[in-house]
Amino acid sequence: MAFQMTRRSFLQASASAALTTALSTWLASGAQARSGFVRKPFTAPGSFGDTTTVTGGVCEMCFWRCQLVGKLRDGKLVKLEGNPKSIDNGASICARGNAGVKLLYDPDRLKYPLKNVGKRGAPVWKRISWDEALDECASRLQGVIKNNGPQGIAIFPHGASATYPMHYFEKVVGTPNNSEASFFQCRGPRDMAYINTFGVQAGENVDMPNAKAILLVGTHIGENIHVSHVKQYLKGLENGAKLIVVDPRFSSSAAKADVWVQIKPGTDTAFLLAVMNYLVKKKTYDSAYVQKNGEGFDKFAKAIAHAELDWAAKICDVPAAQIKEVADLLATNAPHVSIHPGRHVTWYGTDFQRERALACLTGLLGAIGTKGGFVVPKGPKLGKVAWPDIGAEHAEEFALHKMAEKHQFSPPGTPTQMLRDTAISGKPYAIKACITWGQNPIQTIPGQQETIKMLQQMDFVMVVDVMPTDITMYADILLPELSYLERYDIVKTGVQWDLNDKHQQYIAPRMPLVSSVSADHQRKDSVWITNELAKRLGHTKQIPAPSAEAMVDKILAGAQLSVAQIRKEDGIHLQSGTDPYGMVYPVRFFNEDLADAGYSGAPSYTPVAEPPQGFARLVYGRVPVHTFNRTMNNVWLNAEIPENPIWLNQTTAEKLGLKNGDRINLVNQDGVVSVKAGVLKVTLGIRKDTIFTAHGYGTKNPAMTNGVNKGFDDQALITNPAVDPETGAHGMRTSFVRIMKDGKVLSIPA
Amino acid sequence: MNCPQSETPASLYRFLAQSFRYPEQAWLTEPYFDLLGNIKQNLALNSDATGLHWNYNAESDGLELLQIEYTRLFINAAPAVIAPPYSSIYLDHEGNLYGQSAVWVKQFYQLHGFDVEGEGDIPDHLVLELEFLALLIEEQQGDKAEQFLNEHFRRWFPLFRERVLSGSTNQFYSTLLTLVDFFTREEP
Repeated sequence: MAFQMTRRSFLQASASAALTTALSTWLASGAQARSGFVRKPFTAPGSFGDTTTVTGGVCEMCFWRCQLVGKLRDGKLVKLEGNPKSIDNGASICARGNAGVKLLYDPDRLKYPLKNVGKRGAPVWKRISWDEALDECASRLQGVIKNNGPQGIAIFPHGASATYPMHYFEKVVGTPNNSEASFFQCRGPRDMAYINTFGVQAGENVDMPNAKAILLVGTHIGENIHVSHVKQYLKGLENGAKLIVVDPRFSSSAAKADVWVQIKPGTDTAFLLAVMNYLVKKKTYDSAYVQKNGEGFDKFAKAIAHAELDWAAKICDVPAAQIKEVADLLATNAPHVSIHPGRHVTWYGTDFQRERALACLTGLLGAIGTKGGFVVPKGPKLGKVAWPDIGAEHAEEFALHKMAEKHQFSPPGTPTQMLRDTAISGKPYAIKACITWGQNPIQTIPGQQETIKMLQQMDFVMVVDVMPTDITMYADILLPELSYLERYDIVKTGVQWDLNDKHQQYIAPRMPLVSSVSADHQRKDSVWITNELAKRLGHTKQIPAPSAEAMVDKILAGAQLSVAQIRKEDGIHLQSGTDPYGMVYPVRFFNEDLADAGYSGAPSYTPVAEPPQGFARLVYGRVPVHTFNRTMNNVWLNAEIPENPIWLNQTTAEKLGLKNGDRINLVNQDGVVSVKAGVLKVTLGIRKDTIFTAHGYGTKNPAMTNGVNKGFDDQALITNPAVDPETGAHGMRTSFVRIMKDGKVLSIPA
Repeated sequence: MNCPQSETPASLYRFLAQSFRYPEQAWLTEPYFDLLGNIKQNLALNSDATGLHWNYNAESDGLELLQIEYTRLFINAAPAVIAPPYSSIYLDHEGNLYGQSAVWVKQFYQLHGFDVEGEGDIPDHLVLELEFLALLIEEQQGDKAEQFLNEHFRRWFPLFRERVLSGSTNQFYSTLLTLVDFFTREEP
């Protein structure tokens, strides 16, 4: 439209006087909001006067939780740095940590509670008030509880802020149906295997700085960056540790290795059994430690006696001499060897046994409590904030894996596959409400079509997140959470990164670096949101902390500290620690509990399905600048590595007439084609039977304006996940792919 | 001195600022629409400016539709938010919030004796910039208002307006954008 008059003529027109009066009357009626401004006399900041340092940050661009300081200029966060007081990451942070600034000011972030007035999966959003959002969530959840019982609610949490609501729904509301990606699609088999071998969790507790040899099975430190962990690893190498890397791919770790075992994927446990059997037969294991602390050793030795070097060599497709070399190298350097437990271990659905093998190998070498061995440092003691257990009994009664007497060695929560199958079938009971909190089940859980089916049959879906990830498209009510830079939540503790240094402990609560006081959004922290829900669901009395800050204060009180005190101490409290060396753990080489439950009591190898002819196995890892889907929209990180490369063996590529940089799609055994063509990386550094890519790319939600359609989502190709019998965790390196170029499907030559 | 901003009543900028807040029944009242109609009448819009639905009824579904449209245009949306109402999105190469232009805006506020209320407020939101113009006019600083428009507002507002108009056919917002443009554009 166009106006025939100029502003001047408009303003000079006689009618405008009347308009001005009308405007004044309207303003006087108080219909408009406050201006949003305050009067403030100008004071020149002067040189250097305008940048302040705020301490107390704890990173969450991944889950290692490096301690941060923020550099602020007049309320704007301009830079993040490692807290120089940190004895963990120190002044260093990684690329992702640096890029946190861009998450804070990402225009795609969720800002207000939203109601989906469209369809699940194809949302139309309407901003609503917190009261309306919470009332609706509470009444819909109440409805499901009334009709289906508390077990009718499923929760998919992830991250520090999700712990508080997760415990509320488990312990107070009483649902067992909690599926944490960090267990069932990541660490679960590792944690449970070590608990059932040493009686303690593994963590990544190997003393690499002081090791004489380090064994990494599939672990590719350097491609995944956890700052203090990388420091430990590099310090070990700097000190001359021999590095053994077992990986089908020339990873960044393989590139630094003394011995690179280019193993056939899926056969690692056979390799480990052969190493152990060789040590036992040669009597080069630590017999003193085994005799004193071992349990079921003879049964174990008998159970693995078949695992000769030649047997494993054939299965693993590596020379027997190399397996022997590895075993000898470990024995020579024992007990100062780091047998790394790994972190993301949900590979084949046989992962509990592999992790048991790693733990038993550690025990066999006596590498427990020794310099360079498996050493669990003693962290500081803290107070607790806990929801009362009033619903725990109900939850226990309706736990699916307990009802079915399956997965007896499951990590806490309910195995995802059982939960999802139950939701879809309605048997043995209905699951009709879904809460996701910081997790994106569309990309974390294999079998996307089933996940969508599960969501579609729900009566109610509530999602809490910072960014509009894929799962947010399925929400009925979508709630915006404050980012890790604006909220209180976890209290991170630990010790100095090199255990051989002066013994110290640290306590570092996550405190806001940036004010959340703003008319620009209505984001809230998880404690506030959960408490408001609890009040509406009749659990006011059970609320253990009135606010996130009070929760942190209460936890700190257990160490005679407070938020105020930590602020005085620049965000980190340091205290003297204890010598972690010398502790002894029993080693259950043969675990009778496992045998009683019908599983193998000694670590055992079960072959996994082979790729059909013309297919290669799809394996995945990560790139150092991304934490899967969480960081894909970040403008800096996206610019660094915008797409996931597809690694293909050079000989194979030549046979297929493919070259570096070609655009190809992958097609899996079920005919699923990757949504977008990826860039081919042709390399000698991968086996012919294996194709590798990085996980977490290819978000489908266009509301992630930077991340959408960048690269492709490998999870979409994982349509046949395996399930680990002991733990119920998923196995996700189970898919096989062929290549599609210009619409033509190419078979992978043998 | 040619500074037409000094002649635009502060109340008009305030009215326009309010118009770009989230649509709620509390302020989308009969008197509001009367005023909007009044302004339109005074502007003598030519014939292609038909279809302005001043008879918009806040008690019908209309309000919800407007809220959905506001959410889609300015907050979050699937497939994607159309036009975040911040200058940094349009002026800074990374397209993030709180870029250099937002810092410039905040400093401009401060140089003229004002600051945003909340510590975490993003200073270059359309609503804040319009409110700030009203404050300057009230303070008899029309020349500063002209400077603000010239050095900042006119650099991004047309880009923002273009994004809204190409992504929406909503009459309410297209009219308001025309009004903001009319009261902020450069005139000889």
